[in-house]
This record gives sequence, structure tokens and C-alpha cells, in this order.
Amino acid sequence: MSEEVIINKDGLKVRKLVDLKPTTAKEYQEAMLHRVKKFSKRKDSPFNDFIENTVVQGLKAILDTKVTIDKILGSNKDKLYSTIEKILLTGL
Amino acid sequence: MYHIDGTDYLKQKYYTKTKSICPECMDKLDAEIVEENGEIWMKKTCPEHGFFKDKISSDPRYYKWTHYGTDTWSFEKDGETNPADIKGKDPRGCPYNCGLCEEHISTCQLALIDLTNRCNMNCNFCYANVRKAGYLVEPSLEDIDRIMKHFRSKPIPPVAIMFTGGEPTVRKDFPEICAMAKKHGFKEVIVATNGYGFQKKNGGLEWTKRAYEAGLDTLYFQFDGINNPTWEKTRGIKNLMAYKERVIKNCREVGLTSVVLVQTVVKGITDIEIGNVIQFAIDNIDVVRGITYQPVSLCGRITAEEIQELRITNADVIKEVERQTGGKIGLDNSWYPLSTIVEFGRIVAYLAGVEPIEFTCHPDCGFATYLVVDPKTNEMVPIMDYFDPIKIVEFSNKFWNKIKHKEKKQIKFFENFIGDFGKTLDKGVNWVDKQQLKARFLTGMLQYTRKPGKLMEMFSRMLLNGRWESVSAFTHGTLLISSMHFQDAYNLDVERCKRCIVHFGVALPDGTIFESPFCTMNTLHRPVVEKMIAKQYTEKIRNEFDTTLGQRADEIVQEVAYNGGTKKKEE
Repeated sequence: MSEEVIINKDGLKVRKLVDLKPTTAKEYQEAMLHRVKKFSKRKDSPFNDFIENTVVQGLKAILDTKVTIDKILGSNKDKLYSTIEKILLTGL
Repeated sequence: MYHIDGTDYLKQKYYTKTKSICPECMDKLDAEIVEENGEIWMKKTCPEHGFFKDKISSDPRYYKWTHYGTDTWSFEKDGETNPADIKGKDPRGCPYNCGLCEEHISTCQLALIDLTNRCNMNCNFCYANVRKAGYLVEPSLEDIDRIMKHFRSKPIPPVAIMFTGGEPTVRKDFPEICAMAKKHGFKEVIVATNGYGFQKKNGGLEWTKRAYEAGLDTLYFQFDGINNPTWEKTRGIKNLMAYKERVIKNCREVGLTSVVLVQTVVKGITDIEIGNVIQFAIDNIDVVRGITYQPVSLCGRITAEEIQELRITNADVIKEVERQTGGKIGLDNSWYPLSTIVEFGRIVAYLAGVEPIEFTCHPDCGFATYLVVDPKTNEMVPIMDYFDPIKIVEFSNKFWNKIKHKEKKQIKFFENFIGDFGKTLDKGVNWVDKQQLKARFLTGMLQYTRKPGKLMEMFSRMLLNGRWESVSAFTHGTLLISSMHFQDAYNLDVERCKRCIVHFGVALPDGTIFESPFCTMNTLHRPVVEKMIAKQYTEKIRNEFDTTLGQRADEIVQEVAYNGGTKKKEE
């Protein structure tokens, strides 16, 4: 745990938060996945939907690629996004 | 980062007119909200009781950001409204006509029911307490059923319900009430608690399990700090941390993994613990889902100097969070009014065909941010590291403005040509239309997303199906930090009352339900309404709890006997 503990003049323990570090990011992810597991037990759970699971995996792959492309594009990405946004809003 | 950066708004002194009430006679008054000496103030004068002045915000730049709109930004959203329950009779209008009247311009998103005004504690600043009131307020199961029915039968029903008090868990039938809420269709069942039922040394674990299995989703858990002396100042009980830790432990053991720590922020008493509470939440992240800071509301007659001494605003809390986290959760880059996500929520609900969640409250009511763990650095960061929030909100606002007409008017292409038979074909056309809208919206969201990972998977699920389970799984990967400033008679703004989305429901003896926004209930209506439903305050109730220990008196007697007659005053 990354923290400095200060005892103030009234004897109160005050943690000076330096890094906001949890023990591990794994715990966080586990809390989320535990929730998914719980909901998956229900018959109508969206987590058991084959189509949705496939779409989510597809989106994950797109996002991974997009993050890589962002790095390559650098500051030019803003222009590209602005153009894509215009296309997405056209014809609505 | 502000959408008004570079505009003339920031150079202008903020000024607006509104309506408020006199803290002495409670009559309606004209009020002004003005920028003065680097702060935002409310000023009002009662012809009988004189001039009143109260601080609304300690940061004019931030305040102006949340109050000025542009073509694509506005935090003052027009809410969807349910039909009024009553026709207001008081000529003064809002906030005197609660019931709910036709002046209200938002829907209830969180229904509140006071389950009792009995409590195992006796906090000096709490209004809802049987000892102070001198009468008992405790609705029967039939009354509670009527209130739930009232809320859920509205055209736009609230998805969440919170049980309040007093201490709701002193009721033995509490698990039964949770089950009743689920049966009525509330997706999220919450209890505002000091932890009494959950912490009991004998049977606390079983009790927690029963409540959880009956349908309780979330604890809105009183949590002032991590130091016992702080608790002693706020609650008058020594060594309360052990009590609080038992609650967390029992929730963890039964799998009740949604605890929101609620800190009442009092200047000079609990404000020093703001950072401590964040770290406590992070340390217990497997069960703690969020933190809500509640700047204390001021009740009773106090002087202008005392108000200034005690008043702490949302902006003060946000700045204190920034200071106590070494600038990690900053005012400028993390906090947004709750109303920010209205359009986003409407798009998700429309595309997924689910009940919308409408945070159309006033921008002064609440601010929030999410913290997430960056898997690469293992550090808590504001969720803004994952998204470009400005772009996402702007895109959502533009997108909703373009498609909102579709919500009201479905495509009727084939029906116009071939009559009823065409309706089935039009259903298909509408389905295809929604899928192409989903694809466009998802693409828009993706381009402003900065990091991949499991959390983003949950986010895309939320966009795809809009289901409560997806929202819940997403929030389990985050820590929500919010600040809610409830109003009192000194700073009450009628515009805020009209937009309130947190409503009390009370079953009256005549068979009707009295629905009232949170702040008007506590500022104006509570004494009158409670007298209508008050029950006798008996000797048994008076002596039920030892409030210096926060435990049932008969259980303390048992424990004393168990300990061989040694009175155990402290744990």
C-alpha cells in the first residue's frame, strides 16, 4: 500500500494519499467478474447470449486495433474523428 | 477542459433570479444568486425577518460551467414528467403543493420510504428520530405495499428504491420488505443504514444473508471516517469502527458486494477524513462500490456567522478530495453534474428498449466521478483516462437530438400502403433501423474510448443491451465517488425542488400516497405529514436501545450476564 500516515495534533490518523494504489488491480477485475458469474446463472442473462458475446468480442478486437491506430495517427486523429462523426450523424 | 473555456461567460459575473423561502417563517421569497468575492451566494430578504445570505459555491468558474449552456451542452435538462398526483391548492405554488403537483418537471428515479423513526443511535444533527419527535412513525407492511405500488404504477416508474429511517434494519420484517420491493419490479433495492442489522454479534451474519437473499442489493452505509474519535463526535459512540468493520466483513462473507460509504461532511469534524474514506473504499474494493459525500444540511435557528462557519458546499468537498488525493481526482478533470449523462442514458434506453434512467435533476444537486484501476500501472485513476468525456457527451447530445423524434414516432412505411398487414413488416423495418442506429452510436463511442480491457467490455455490453445486469457489472469494476448537497431552508432554491428525482412516499390514513421531493419533505412537510401518521411513543420504545453503545438494551443485559456481571461499556 502506497500511503503516508500522519497523526495530527488531535491524535487522528490521517492518510496522505499519494498514489491511490489498491493492493492489486486483479481484485477489481475479480469483483466485476464475480458479478458477471452471478448474473450468468439466470436463464435470461445477457451474459449467456451467444450473439451478444460474439459482438462484444468483435468490439474488443476493434478497440484494440483502434488504440494502436490512434498512436500511429498522433494529432491527425482529431481530424479523422471529426469526419467520422459527421458521417455517423448524416441522414438521421 | 470546460466547454465554456474561451467564451465570454467566464468573464461575466454570474447573476440569476430564483425563488426561495424564509428560514424563519418559511414563506416564499424572491432570491438572487450572485457572484461576489470569488464565490457564489444566495441573497434574499423577508419583509418580516430580514436579510439572509448563504454560500452556494466556493468556485465561480466551476459553477458557471455547470450553469451556462451552448448549442451542444446544457446541464439543465428538461425532464420527462409523470402526470401530477394532485392539483396544487396553495396559491404560492412550489414548494408548498407537494403531493406531487403539476409544477414538477422531472420524474422520480429513486423512491424513498421511511420504514421507521426508531434508531439505535441518537446523532445530534439527525431530524428523523423517535426520541426527538416524541411519536413513532412506522408504516405497516400494507402501507409499504401501497407506496411501492404507487411508484411502480407510474408511466415512468423509478427503477430503484431506498429504505430510510431512523434505522430501517431495526425492523424484524426488513428482509420481507426487500422481497416485496423486488416483487414490485424495483431493480435496485437499497437501504440507508448505520449497519445495525448487519453488524450484530449474535446473528448478524445470518441476518445479512437473509436480507441479501430476499433481494437487498446495496447498503448506503453511514461512514464518517476511520478514526474512533471522529465517530464519537458525530454519533456519540466510542469505538464505533469495530461495529462498522463487522458490517463490511459480514457483507463480504455472504457476497453482498455493493456497499456505498456515505460520509456526512461537517467542517472541522469529518472533512479531514475525506481521503481516509477513499482509501478505506479502495482497501475494501471487493465489496465497496462507491462513496457519497453529503455536506451537512443546517437545521434550526442559527446566526449568519454560524451559517458561514458551518456551510460546506459541493465545490468545497470536491476541492478537499483533490487536496487529500494529491491532485489525482481534480476539480477540473474529474467531476461532472449528474445531469451530464441524460442524453446518453436516453439513447441507450431507446436502442435497447428498456426503462430509461433520467438524471434530470438540477446541476447543483449532485456531482460524480468514477475511479477505475489501470491494469498496467495498478493505480486508481479517474475514468476520464479511459474516455474522452467531453467528446462522448457532445456526440451523445448531438446523436439524441437527431434521433429523439423516433422514440415518439415509429416508422410506418408499409402500413401506409397495405394497412394492418404492413404492421408486421414495419416491425422488421423498425428493428433494422435500431440496429443501424446502434452501430452508429457504438462507433461514435468507440472512437472516443482510449483504453481497452475488461471494463470496456462491460461498457459495450451496457450500450448493447441497456440491461440493469450490465450496468451493475460495469459498476463492479469501478468506484463511484459523488457529492450530494441536500438543501435546507437557508439555501433552498425552488428550481432545484422542481427538478428533484429523489422522492419520499408516505401512506396517509385517507388511503392516498403523499409523494414529495427529498428536500421539500425535510425542510417543509415532514412535521405536518408525520403528525398525520404518528403512533404512540411507548416506554418500551423509549428504552429499546442504549444509544451510547448503539445496541439493544436487552442484548446488553444478556451480554453483561454472560460476562459474569461485568458491564462491558466498550468493545
